[in-house]
Amino acid sequence: MGENTDMNGTRAVDEGSELDPRTAATLLEQTKRRAQHQFEFPSPLLTLIQAGAVLAAYGAIWLSVRGQNPYSGPSYAALAALYAFVAVAAIAATLEGRRASAGVIRRSSRQQWSRAIPLVAAFLAVYVLMGALRYDGFSHAIVYGILPAAGPLIVVGAAMAGYAAAREEWQVLGVAVAAIAVGAGSAFAGPAGVWGVAGAGICAVLVCRAIAQVWLRRA
Amino acid sequence: MTGAGTTADALDPLIHVPARLRIVATLAALPDGDALSFTRLQNMIGLTPGNLITHLRKLEDAGYLSSEKTGNGVASRTSVALSNRGRAALDTYTAALRDLLAGL
Repeated sequence: MGENTDMNGTRAVDEGSELDPRTAATLLEQTKRRAQHQFEFPSPLLTLIQAGAVLAAYGAIWLSVRGQNPYSGPSYAALAALYAFVAVAAIAATLEGRRASAGVIRRSSRQQWSRAIPLVAAFLAVYVLMGALRYDGFSHAIVYGILPAAGPLIVVGAAMAGYAAAREEWQVLGVAVAAIAVGAGSAFAGPAGVWGVAGAGICAVLVCRAIAQVWLRRA
Repeated sequence: MTGAGTTADALDPLIHVPARLRIVATLAALPDGDALSFTRLQNMIGLTPGNLITHLRKLEDAGYLSSEKTGNGVASRTSVALSNRGRAALDTYTAALRDLLAGL
């Protein structure tokens, strides 16, 4: 049955051993928890790393644009910092994803794509919209301020929420709805303030998720 | 059988063995339909290959799990997944265990 293993006639060690119901219940619970822990993605640690990366990325932009009057948009250095922190979060997620899914054969790779496609499409739509608004003569404050800061949170949050609701993944649904709320609410802070409010808001949402993950593990 | 009427006999003897209980509980932690490679299952359970195979065979013969082998020779890979019947059996076992402990 396994790789390079003797398949014939090995007697199971546990065969015939008495198992007390209490011991069985403890063993069942411990094994379930350990397995869930090992298959869990994202882990609370990864969620905290993502929280830190989001805060640093949005914070770098906010430091670059705060006090601008009129608003002209983030500097190239701030944009480079944003993409660097996004890359850190993406690399951490990739490594963690490989650890969690090692040896796991998914029912269908199409299911994975069905999750990624709406998120990527929603994210790209924000940049297309930015181009369209710029083309139509909207101000830098809208095109390079409020829209790129709040837009991804709203549209990606909405795509995530739809997917999570369909699969009854309530924790993800909570994070997605909170992201939508942070995105929409942060827009009131203006083109510079939106970066700070959105960054702090999403960081807080992710920290809350990490705490909830740890709490659920212990519950 | 419920409540104080539940006895240890109500516990499925195929699952009520430490190694098989751990195998079934580990596979049940995966989403329905997903499979796990033999190697990772062995790493997680900590049994020898021969011992693990024996337990998997018993569970497979009972229809509690399905296995699939891909490739040939040293490159062959075996994966195992809990079947619907296996998942239902674990649910029944868990309920019986709960009833049994509640009656103690």
